[in-house]
Amino acid sequence: MIEYLLLAPVITCILCFFAKSRKQVEMVSLTGSIATLLLGLVLVAEVYKNNIIISWTNALFADTFSAFIVLIVSIVGFVASLYSVGYMGHEMEHGAMDFRRLRIYYGLFHIFMFTMLLVGVTNNLGLWIAIEMTTLVSALLMILYSKKSSVEAAWKYMIICTVGITFALFGTILTYFAAVRILGESGDALNWTSLVSVADQFDPTIMKLAFIFILIGYGTKAGLAPMHTWLPDAHSEAPTPVSALLSGVLLNCAMYGIIRFYTIATKSTGTAFTSNLLIIFGLLSLGIAVPFILLQEDYKRLLAYSSVEHMGIIAIGIGFGGVFGIFGAILHMFNHAMTKSLMFFGAGNVLLKHDTKEIFNVSGLVKSMPYTGAMFVIGGLAITGSPPFSIFISEFTILAAGFSQGHIIAAVLFLIFIIMIFAGFFNNVSRMAFGMPKPGIEKGEVSRWTLSAMAVLIVFVIVLGVYIPPSFYEMIMKVVEIVR
Amino acid sequence: MSEIIFGSNIMQLLISLILVSTFMILGSTRLYSCVRAFGIQSLLLACVAGIVAYSTGKSDIYIVSALTLVIKALVIPYIFIYIIREIKVKREIGLYVGISPSLIIGGILVVISYYLIRSINLITELSSFALSASMSLVSIGLFIMISRKKAIMQMLGILIMENGLFLGAISLTYGMPLLVELGIFFDVLIGALIMGILIFRINRTFESIDTDMLKTLIG
Repeated sequence: MIEYLLLAPVITCILCFFAKSRKQVEMVSLTGSIATLLLGLVLVAEVYKNNIIISWTNALFADTFSAFIVLIVSIVGFVASLYSVGYMGHEMEHGAMDFRRLRIYYGLFHIFMFTMLLVGVTNNLGLWIAIEMTTLVSALLMILYSKKSSVEAAWKYMIICTVGITFALFGTILTYFAAVRILGESGDALNWTSLVSVADQFDPTIMKLAFIFILIGYGTKAGLAPMHTWLPDAHSEAPTPVSALLSGVLLNCAMYGIIRFYTIATKSTGTAFTSNLLIIFGLLSLGIAVPFILLQEDYKRLLAYSSVEHMGIIAIGIGFGGVFGIFGAILHMFNHAMTKSLMFFGAGNVLLKHDTKEIFNVSGLVKSMPYTGAMFVIGGLAITGSPPFSIFISEFTILAAGFSQGHIIAAVLFLIFIIMIFAGFFNNVSRMAFGMPKPGIEKGEVSRWTLSAMAVLIVFVIVLGVYIPPSFYEMIMKVVEIVR
Repeated sequence: MSEIIFGSNIMQLLISLILVSTFMILGSTRLYSCVRAFGIQSLLLACVAGIVAYSTGKSDIYIVSALTLVIKALVIPYIFIYIIREIKVKREIGLYVGISPSLIIGGILVVISYYLIRSINLITELSSFALSASMSLVSIGLFIMISRKKAIMQMLGILIMENGLFLGAISLTYGMPLLVELGIFFDVLIGALIMGILIFRINRTFESIDTDMLKTLIG
């Protein structure tokens, strides 16, 4: 089952390079991403029934947590490919893109999907390989436009993340070293299942060191401060559909790596060590995001800093711990993926129409692009955690966990930062959304494709704010059990 | 058991030579000599892996050793030389930190790594010698990345760090399981290729590969 899921994007990528025209390549990409989505849903259903699927001689593995990641990747991936048709189509009609590069774009897009799915379903610390692959592919996607700024962003991204991930490799080696002492030298010593079952016997000194390296390493990739410096550049310079994937999904993939190691390390070192580290890095990310969001002039960078903030929130949620904290963090991963992709899609529409990333040069979106404008405002409210949208639920759960687990100071700081970010972020969004449209901007939307992509996401944002379906709730509870 | 392997004289000699090759990179101002020293370093690593394979009798490690030889000692240096030749870059590497201070800092890093590894004291049965050499390689690689101007040297720095980790892994646990090890080789190779592509792109866009130019995105 898992193999088919991984095969779908690879085949799609190959077929993309055989396409002869824009129509064909778009058809191939859309069909491919629908197939990936369906196979992803089938995998989720299978895991729901059997709890654990293992295949390919133990190398591939899916439990509920993997299925959760696969769910996020395949939903956002599908929506992003829907959006790409409109966005890249518009770029092509205006000469910013030619057919040769369009084909490369779609090919890389699906390989990128493949690597992210692989992150979810590798059954060992070889997770590192998959995460490094995501860096490599996405750096190529970033230099699709040969602008100076995007080349610079891609190089920074590549260098900082590769160094970061080298540290993660060291953490992985140390974990393996700790495991080999208990399990003996076999391929199994790197499998999640065997690691978790004996993790309490691991040497705590080694595991502490390993966890620090893992947190710094994958934390770089997840955009936790102070290793986040590449993130605003990369996320604002990438083509918009890719920005959505980077912010919504890829950050979650790196977070997934941290959480998996958190489970193993906590069993050996005790909760206090790992939790406090996560809370410190989380609060730092929130704190650093505040001034950059308050004073931001570029709306794509605004969204990127908001991603730093939200990764911080997830780290804090895991750090607070308890059923509530972890439940909130896991739910937040999903909610953030949906809402942030929605916001990036909105920003992409604005960019196509206005051809500028300056917040001050955009106004009156609600009048000039009624649908995009309305969804952008709702997304802006949702991403800052206002009720009744989905992120409010997860942030509130995390906050409650903070107080109930006795992390009073951290919880109060968390609340203060969130309120400041709300003010700064929404101020910027309302400046773009309301008022009179800039002269020379005609009324009208860019493309129906981009709107339909946003419409799919807004359903998640609104519905999950008022109602969590029982099966989804059960899925998250199972993930919480795995993480604890 | 590993005490015997890593305590043996030939092993100590090889690891010392790996450190020497790292200092050759630190001490040279010309791109070609840096690449040559990197090639030598990888060759020595392949020998280390070969000896571990021989004394443990594990066929997996022979494969790893052979791959190190082919990928890190031959293919990657070739990629470097190809880049240098194609973009007709000036052969000097461009320093933020001069050669003599670089060498001194390198020496300090080695000493720090040695005491760090000894103070952690978690590896009783292993020679801390190999592990401290591995830490030195990682920290010197990092130092090379931040103290040299050319983008190509940053790429070299990352690869030195990776070599250091390889040494660490092989001295701690005789390397990772084969499947993981293969994946890492794959990533290193593809990573080198993609960094090469990026360097070409930087050269075409900025008409230089000095990273001074790459400082516009802030805030």
